[in-house]
Amino acid sequence: MFAYMIRTALLSLRRNPVLSALLVAAIALGVAVSTAFLTVHYVYSGNPIPSKSNRLFYVQMDSWNPDRPYARSRPELPPEQMTYRDMQGIMASDIPTYQSGMFVASLTIHPPEAEQRPFRERVRMCFADFFPMFEVPFLYGGGWDRGADRGPEPVVVIDAATNDRLFGGGDSVGKILRIEDRQFTVAGVLAPWRPSPRFYDTHTGASQVPEGIYMPFEFVRIFEVETAGNLLIWTDYDEVDGFEAFLASEAVWIQMWVQLDTNEQRQAYIGFLDAYVMEQKKLGRFGRPLNNRLLDVMGWLKDQEVVPEEATGMLVISLLFLLVCAVNLIGILLGKFLSRAPEVGVRRALGASRTTVFLQHIVECELVGVIGGILGLGLSALVLRLINQLLTNNGQFGLDLPMVAAGIGLSLVAGLVAGLYPAWRICRLAPAIHLKLQ
Amino acid sequence: MIEMDGIRKIYRTQHVETHALTDFTVTIDDGEFVSVMGPSGSGKTTLLNIAGLLDTFEHGRYLLDGEDVSRLSDRQMSTFRNQKIGFIFQSYNLIPDLNVFDNVDVPLRYRGMGGSDRRAAINKALEVVGLSARTKHYPAQLSGGQQQRVAVARALVGSPSLILADEPTGNLDSAMANDVMDLLETINGMDTTVVMVTHEHELAARAQRRLHLLDGRLIDLEADDRPTPLVARPDGSSSARV
Repeated sequence: MFAYMIRTALLSLRRNPVLSALLVAAIALGVAVSTAFLTVHYVYSGNPIPSKSNRLFYVQMDSWNPDRPYARSRPELPPEQMTYRDMQGIMASDIPTYQSGMFVASLTIHPPEAEQRPFRERVRMCFADFFPMFEVPFLYGGGWDRGADRGPEPVVVIDAATNDRLFGGGDSVGKILRIEDRQFTVAGVLAPWRPSPRFYDTHTGASQVPEGIYMPFEFVRIFEVETAGNLLIWTDYDEVDGFEAFLASEAVWIQMWVQLDTNEQRQAYIGFLDAYVMEQKKLGRFGRPLNNRLLDVMGWLKDQEVVPEEATGMLVISLLFLLVCAVNLIGILLGKFLSRAPEVGVRRALGASRTTVFLQHIVECELVGVIGGILGLGLSALVLRLINQLLTNNGQFGLDLPMVAAGIGLSLVAGLVAGLYPAWRICRLAPAIHLKLQ
Repeated sequence: MIEMDGIRKIYRTQHVETHALTDFTVTIDDGEFVSVMGPSGSGKTTLLNIAGLLDTFEHGRYLLDGEDVSRLSDRQMSTFRNQKIGFIFQSYNLIPDLNVFDNVDVPLRYRGMGGSDRRAAINKALEVVGLSARTKHYPAQLSGGQQQRVAVARALVGSPSLILADEPTGNLDSAMANDVMDLLETINGMDTTVVMVTHEHELAARAQRRLHLLDGRLIDLEADDRPTPLVARPDGSSSARV
């Protein structure tokens, strides 16, 4: 019966192609806009690493000014990043399965081909654990080992785009890359990797793509490079004299992540952090009350309010737009259906129940919805491309399977909203009245 | 087949009440061929609509094939129509987007029959009306007589026990009208009850019995062309029985 209903619905749509095209276009437009903004919202609000998001923790400690809180509006919060010396201090722990402090630097890359000009590139300075901790996929080679952190050894990991740009793609493991005034050996080439949102460093933009180059953290001393991200300090920055003094200062600029797989590990690590802070208090630091925080990935993203209010607002507006599109179709569909009352009368006489007539017309509306939805998804891809260009974020927003399913789901809902009342009206008509009129 | 007792049907608008049938009582036996005559507005079509479960009534009792249909749900009435009643209309009422085969297929689709059974039944019905060679034609490609024959095939494809025909020859010339009447007689010969509304005395005379309606009342009854006196009731209503 369902197949017969679809066939009958197709016949009905073919009867008036212009009107049918109008119906489909209205749904397509609504689905295009709403799916595009749903995708933007989804990218911001999704779980970027579902396999272990509840085992990865962002570490915060309150080393801020004893006289005033880090954020006056929310005095209970510790600083969002940490000092170099505190990162060094807690990296001594052997409790976490993996751990890494990190920051983003801007360094000069010298391409191997002489004709290519040097360029500045965002480089993530991190520890060896960064790669296994965040399950970073590799095309060739792998990350460096913990021994390379200590040296530090001149090794780098590059992403596929950088590999294409510098070496023309292929297995570039072992090739030499000059960064600033030093030669680095390529240890690994990443496979495409785009956690959405980019959870591990929300301060430089959660919608940004990951960096193109990764380097052992301790080259920070060798290059004497400061962060290209956020840096805040509550002491007098002018009194910081020299790079070593900067590293020893109260400036917060490092993100710290740990992987704690078990509850025992978590409890032990909390104890470790508390002990570390108490130790620091004895040294005259950490003048504020003990306030260490461990937030898992989703907790951290929520805390950071990664989903921009604009994205939520646009999503609501776009869904309302789809609703308006669907509501506008009610009148058109009602007119279309009522013009077919004599045929419905015949079908009722031949054995179609009210329910069958109702379902028949709902199927027709849903067919319009699905065709509109498919067209709308195509339009949505174009809208997303436009958004990507406007935000210059390298294709962060794109339709994946869940978003395609959501788009089809929205089109079905729109078809239902548009069709419920007209279908109900047509199924309630008394068949006898229209049989004489045909 | 049909037992109507004291049926009353009133069409109401804001200011006017029209009594389409007034305390109408009739019995039609299985296998009968009955014609219904009367001037326009006398209630012929209303009678057919009520008999075909396409319309409701205010008062009275209606037994169709022994079942009190006034208490049936919409779904049950639809099933009843689909399985026991075939309709033939004056303006054929074929669905213009469907070809001959698919038009005849409609009642079987609502019956949920399998593909091969449907094909066999449709081909048999089209053979009866002599349109086996026109299965792919659309209504617009057929003459009026052919369209009405398709409608007859559609009415009989489900092997109903009752055929209700509302002026089936009203839009046809006399030759085509006779063809359709021949078909109705053939169907009646297959033990199917036929109730036909018509304005034409000559065609009505071909039925076994004639019912005459005026102002929603039965005013006369003839069986086998023998006039039968009207049975008057004390309350002013009328009835007729074989």
